[in-house]
Amino acid sequence: MDTATPLVEMKHIHKRFGGVHAVDDVSIDLYPGEVVGVLGHNGAGKSVLLTMLSGALPMDQGEIRINGRKVDIHSPRDAQACGIETIYQTLALADNLNAPANLFLGRELKTRWGTLDDDAMEAEAREVLQRLNPNFTNINDAVVNMSGGQRQVVAIGRAIYFNARILIMDEPTAALGPSETQMVTDLTKQLRAEGIGIFLISHDMHDVFDLCDRIMVMKNGRNVGTHRIEEVSKDDVLSLIIMGQLPDGWEPRNKRTDA
Amino acid sequence: MKLSKLIPVLALGVTMTVAAQIAAAADLVVGVSWSNFQEERWKTDEAAMKSALDAGGAKYISSDAGGSAEKQLADVESLIARGANAIIILAWDADAVLPAVAKAQAEGIPVLGYDRLIEAPGVFYLTFDNVEVGRMQARAVYKVQPKGNYVYIKGAPTDPNADFLHGGQVEILKAAIDKGDIKIVGEQYTDGWKPENAQRNMEQILTANNNKVDAVVASNDGTAGGVVAALTAQGMEGTPVSGQDGDHAALNRVARGWQTVSVWKDARALGKAAGDIAVQLAKGMKGSEVKGAIKWSGGAKGVKMDAILLAPVPITRDNLNVVIDAGWVSKAVVCQGVTKNPPAACK
Amino acid sequence: MKAPPSKTTRAKTDAPSGIMALIRTAEIDTRMLTMVTVLIGIWIAMDLLTQGLFMTSRNLYNLAVQSSVVAIMATGMVLVIVARHIDLSVGSVMGFTGMVIAWLQVDVFPLGAAWNWPSTVLLGLMLGAMIGAWQGYWISYRAIPAFVVTLGGLLMFRGFAFLVTDGRTVAPMDATYQLLGGGIDGSIGATWSWICGLVAIAILGLLTIRQRNSRTAHGFSVKPMWMEIALFAMWVAVIIGFVMVMNSYTKPRSDIARGIPVPVLALIGVVLVMNMIARRTSFGRHVFAMGGNPQAAELTGIDVKKMTLIIFVVMGILCGIAAVITTARLNAGANSMGQLAELSVIGGTSLAGGVGSIAGAILGAVIMQSLENGMVLMGVSSAMRQVVIGLVLLIAVWFDTLYKQSR
Repeated sequence: MDTATPLVEMKHIHKRFGGVHAVDDVSIDLYPGEVVGVLGHNGAGKSVLLTMLSGALPMDQGEIRINGRKVDIHSPRDAQACGIETIYQTLALADNLNAPANLFLGRELKTRWGTLDDDAMEAEAREVLQRLNPNFTNINDAVVNMSGGQRQVVAIGRAIYFNARILIMDEPTAALGPSETQMVTDLTKQLRAEGIGIFLISHDMHDVFDLCDRIMVMKNGRNVGTHRIEEVSKDDVLSLIIMGQLPDGWEPRNKRTDA
Repeated sequence: MKLSKLIPVLALGVTMTVAAQIAAAADLVVGVSWSNFQEERWKTDEAAMKSALDAGGAKYISSDAGGSAEKQLADVESLIARGANAIIILAWDADAVLPAVAKAQAEGIPVLGYDRLIEAPGVFYLTFDNVEVGRMQARAVYKVQPKGNYVYIKGAPTDPNADFLHGGQVEILKAAIDKGDIKIVGEQYTDGWKPENAQRNMEQILTANNNKVDAVVASNDGTAGGVVAALTAQGMEGTPVSGQDGDHAALNRVARGWQTVSVWKDARALGKAAGDIAVQLAKGMKGSEVKGAIKWSGGAKGVKMDAILLAPVPITRDNLNVVIDAGWVSKAVVCQGVTKNPPAACK
Repeated sequence: MKAPPSKTTRAKTDAPSGIMALIRTAEIDTRMLTMVTVLIGIWIAMDLLTQGLFMTSRNLYNLAVQSSVVAIMATGMVLVIVARHIDLSVGSVMGFTGMVIAWLQVDVFPLGAAWNWPSTVLLGLMLGAMIGAWQGYWISYRAIPAFVVTLGGLLMFRGFAFLVTDGRTVAPMDATYQLLGGGIDGSIGATWSWICGLVAIAILGLLTIRQRNSRTAHGFSVKPMWMEIALFAMWVAVIIGFVMVMNSYTKPRSDIARGIPVPVLALIGVVLVMNMIARRTSFGRHVFAMGGNPQAAELTGIDVKKMTLIIFVVMGILCGIAAVITTARLNAGANSMGQLAELSVIGGTSLAGGVGSIAGAILGAVIMQSLENGMVLMGVSSAMRQVVIGLVLLIAVWFDTLYKQSR
């Protein structure tokens, strides 16, 4: 679903850690209602790039535009204000707190006296979480006691409750079993249908080809190729990831005469 | 060796020896190992020691063990290494410090045990007669309260002085206790001599006896302060309480009638004596040759030691002028807040 | 925040079955229940061993005052430990601020002037806050482990405490100031104690009603009415019992009831404020998040460094409050005040299992003080008391690890 203005434009982003050029002049756009896969080997710079978009890491150089407007993102709060929500690979949940507390962490609901309104947070959380997973009833347990899938639901719930327009998902299914993976996949498609733009970091080729509309491959900090998913095959993608380039004599998959 | 060569060598040798002696005498170093400089009174001792050492031509070096027996061992060793010709030790733990004493003596460095007994042969013991302090504490309290329920608030269990004091106190009160005139209804050591601990212990003893306490024999002014605080909380201030050290706050309490006696050991006299004796010992004098030294064996092991025991002065409301006249404390501090029934010194 | 146990159904009212389900519905924390049981057990044992002396109003009154200083500092230590730090300097900071307060009050300002003692209290609290900020700065912005910074603080501030007056004890304090430490006139009397008690009951009632209404409004289940009333009645009984005990301790040789002593009032105030901060403010919520997962806290935009600094500033202020009570109670500033206090504070907090419950830390502090108090009543020597308390601490934390493993 392309429309004229991209949701996110990341232009010429640079990030160095000491002598290592972790992100080297990377540019990528994201349109509403699309899933862009961000692929690459370990240490290619995928998480670093998107952590800068999520506000948890400052950029050295580059520009980010949201809906055509230049923004300065210096903290996670700034990113959240732009409608960017992140589901981190580690989920970023506080183990000793329960699901509602985690969902609202940093953005707690308060009573009119300024104290925490735990009941309101519980009610809202219950609604969001049970929409995602109707069997999720023990939301008041400490998160450490929940299953991997439930913890994922909490992390996702956090993102959708706050009406993300831009979602960053970092390896969302890496630690999940098949049925939970299916749940996350279905949810991703649903969010895409609602017009949300999603950056998806994944190693799982099946998920990538199932979910992504476009992919960007990074190698050694650089963008070595941005393609529509119809154009490439699995081998093409692997070639980009490992070699940094497409195979010799490459033609877009959907235009090849041989299937 | 030919005589013509011998004489110059002998002359050189004699000259060098004499020079060395002179040099040694000029470079006398006296080291002081403090146990816990934090406690209030030791600054006074130090000042007096320093001026006595100055007058005797000796240099003063010191360290503070901060309440640690291990550190004190290291401190003494470091004083030896720094060239001390005599070492004054205020022992934190009289038994734990013995190896350090042995080390010093092995190097021919005389040791003076300051205020607290270090019971080892060859150590010079300089103190106020702590048993006498205890006796004075008990005497003063007994004088105003010859009958009734008594409480002992003793010193720190690690401090041998605490037991000397207590021994003296018991000596005086024994007859009355045996006769049944005096009953001991509470007895506790005070960890670290801390006033807070004395306050808490006294509170509990008062509870245990439903306030039927007629006198408290406290072993120093810090603990006496805690005791008086506990008594005041029960409206019992004025109950006879003893103490020692001549702390300014305690002397004020004596003026107010909240404390019966503070046995004053002019720390300046002790410090001065220590300085003087240390210089003499450093110069090679034997302990027994020190002017005024006696042979004393009142310690638990009965070891015979050279000692000088200075006489303490019990300060009650009748002779507060003694401490004021001696320049130990100002009249203003002693008499602060004293309105009712002032003692002679405050009128 | 301590997570209330889950409710498996969200029907309008739950029908409890069995003792455990009963406890869960009542939302009683089982660990707190254990600690209260232990405390009551110790009290009964002590009472028997002292032939009935322990449970007298007089001794319980004294126990409350004796516990107040350690308990006040324990409320701050809870937050420090939840945030995965430690503060070894609390005793020394208390001693130093106490010496400064005493010195200002007696040696510098005119003793007896009306403005004297209140300004010294204010200055003492500010000093405590500054020391907390100093230590907090090194811990949060310079990333030096709290253990090291506060160990340095333990030494440094003990040294400073001596240097204030070169070791000289400063006494006596202002006559009005002494009231802050308890003592013969340092309690609020029967009438005011009852007023406090009734206000407490009223507030408790209002809060209970408000909570129940909020739950209903959101469609959550509420406790059955009988249980709600029973719990409320239990708290009312505790409050009334406390006031009665404080009131039945009379001034010596008179019938005038003492009432709640000022240090205990201060403790109650501190507990209420700290509990509210910990459980009902976003600050408190963020502290717990920080402790549970510091990276998660950062990623959600929580300023971890600033919050760590604030935690240590709060700890410093609480040390200042403790210093006021100690110097007022002792009626003197002695440079050895608070020495080894950190052991009691950390010990008491650890007894609660370090889950971050303010009430638990208070209970832990009271348990340890009860042991000390009772043993002195029995005439047990100080060495023996140290052995017993050390053993109790060890056993308590052992039980706590067993408890954690069984969950």
